[in-house]
Amino acid sequence: MVNPKADPDALFGVESRAALLAAVAGWRQPLTLPQVRRLTEMATGFGPALQPLRLAIVHTYTSDLLDPWLAMHAALAGFDLQCHHAPHGLALQEAQPGSGLLAHRPDITLLMLRREDLHPDLAAPIVGLDAKQLDALRQACLAQVQAIVGAFRSQAVGQLQLSILPSPAAPALGIYAAHGACSEAAWWAGLQSDIAAWMRSECPSSMLMDMDELARSVGRDAMFDLRFWFSAQFPFTARAASAFARQVATVGVLLKSPRAKVLVLDADNTLWGGVVGEDGIQGIALGQDYPGNAFRAFQRRILDFQQRGLILALCSKNNAADVEQVLREHPHQILREQHFSAQRVNWLDKAENLVSLAEELNVDLDSFVFVDDSDHECAAVRHALPQIEVVQAPRRAVDLPGCLDHVARLEVLALTAEDLAKTEMYAQERRRRDLVADVQRAGGGHGEYLAGLQMCMQVNVGCSAHLARLSQLTRKTNQFNLTTRRYDEQQMRALLADDDTLVLDFSLADRFGDSGIVGLAIWRLNAPASAELDSFMMSCRVIGRQAESAFLEASTRLLGERGVQALVADHFPTAKNALVARFLPEHGFERGADGRYHRSLRSRPPRSPSEFPVEVRVIAADRLDVLTNAAP
Amino acid sequence: MNVIDQLRQTIATTLKVPLERVTPTTRDEDLAAWDSLGQVNLMMALEQTFDVYIEVEDFEKLNSVPAIVGYLGSRDAR
Repeated sequence: MVNPKADPDALFGVESRAALLAAVAGWRQPLTLPQVRRLTEMATGFGPALQPLRLAIVHTYTSDLLDPWLAMHAALAGFDLQCHHAPHGLALQEAQPGSGLLAHRPDITLLMLRREDLHPDLAAPIVGLDAKQLDALRQACLAQVQAIVGAFRSQAVGQLQLSILPSPAAPALGIYAAHGACSEAAWWAGLQSDIAAWMRSECPSSMLMDMDELARSVGRDAMFDLRFWFSAQFPFTARAASAFARQVATVGVLLKSPRAKVLVLDADNTLWGGVVGEDGIQGIALGQDYPGNAFRAFQRRILDFQQRGLILALCSKNNAADVEQVLREHPHQILREQHFSAQRVNWLDKAENLVSLAEELNVDLDSFVFVDDSDHECAAVRHALPQIEVVQAPRRAVDLPGCLDHVARLEVLALTAEDLAKTEMYAQERRRRDLVADVQRAGGGHGEYLAGLQMCMQVNVGCSAHLARLSQLTRKTNQFNLTTRRYDEQQMRALLADDDTLVLDFSLADRFGDSGIVGLAIWRLNAPASAELDSFMMSCRVIGRQAESAFLEASTRLLGERGVQALVADHFPTAKNALVARFLPEHGFERGADGRYHRSLRSRPPRSPSEFPVEVRVIAADRLDVLTNAAP
Repeated sequence: MNVIDQLRQTIATTLKVPLERVTPTTRDEDLAAWDSLGQVNLMMALEQTFDVYIEVEDFEKLNSVPAIVGYLGSRDAR
């Protein structure tokens, strides 16, 4: 609900871009155009300098009037927006080589379509159609979307965002709409679900934007300004234009920033009201009444972020026993010990704790989003660790449940099975650490530990079902990565389809669970009898188990069976991949005069799988020619 | 700032033209940027700058500085 007394000085008095972004996110009134221009100038003036973000818009209704809002939200997110508007209409010629859109080299291509663009029949009421007709209409609409989206997706248009404008009119059947046998809303939901399913499986780097949800959150009456709609084909009010533009800027953030992986939460006055060390478990605000119910709602909301693939960590200045008691015993606590993949509850400096959390979780600090209510702690972390995004929890509990909803980096453009299983994987990792301790107590070493894991590796050859995950691995893996080549889903699809490229991935299971797809090797087979290692990477969560060696040798064995005798590989050092500096020499590669690494499979044949504490199985998913050679 | 200067400022900012190109007698035909799209943008900017609600029927009449000044004056008088 709008607070009508909000003070405009809260917007214009801030001193950094991050603070301005937070102020605009918390600003509940529609911004006026003069305010939008002023905020854009302010956001542009703050350091660091804006990075370019190239946007192309294909539109069947007026899009130019969005520009001030797009420019503002882009600037707030740190981008200098360079926007290309295609000629008005369903401009499929913009998907042709040589078009203005392709010349613009967009990072994002936004399709702004109306419902009736999907089928002429949608200009008339659909509630009178029978089930069969509705089904046929739905198929026809889906086919039209496939034609439009497919045309653009086949070109280098960057991330493709499809939006379909909801109808400005109320439902055909009025107050009977939800009750009727044919609900327009249900039909649309079904169509959107078909479109989304098709895009997920067939259309990499593409996303259906939920404009109906945008309309729900803004409210239909507050979303459309019919004066501009009927006089200039521009549908949006200032509020809706701003909300829509913010979503576009969010996509830019997700494309251009390090991915957020860990949500680090403070405890006192963040997860509950009050200070448990002083107020005691009975005294903290957490329960059925305000403000305790707002803290509960916030905890509930945090579980939603976990569903997006973020893992949770706790970082609190407290006596460990006090916090542990709340997590275990408080009847209204929603987040329990098992929800947190790591905890630091002590009296150390928070920055110090964050560094050690990053080490424990094996992720970079720039993948952390840190939430804390204290001015002091937020400022200290911002100062000591500027790579961490800091979100200050609002002072009033009522503002807490939604306080992370505007943090762009907590959104996702794709969700893989690995994302959803991440918390469970970190829990497995804790059980593995327990096994290490057990083995050590029994006098055993690392070898006994690895044997005790009973590892089984599945190597998949050219498996396009893993497309999204493979692309994600190239984009997210920084440490165990020889060449750090990044491939978006479209590029990955091309690699998988290429006959002269061998794309191998692996998953690793042990007695504690399955890691999912954690490693990727891309071999280029351009010259006869030789292969070039384009990419080799592995997720850090399976490091130290000889999986990388077993995988490399399994892949060289496959190459040997295809007649390859000479291997070429590179190690391109980056700030983050020192871990793999010795990997190639340790696996039989010698540095040549050309600066590259070479291995002859004659003198250094693939090592036998029995040398590793890992059972290896090879599965050729799509490429039957490989299968015949690759029996384990 | 008087209404004419404030209006000139709004037109110049909205249509992205130098302030000196907007005079007390400027009309849509004088500025390339004051096309149909510029007109709609200007209507939004006028509403928000002068805190008025413009009926859609009035949009196309408000195509010059004198016309807008007259319109704002008539509203103020109400």
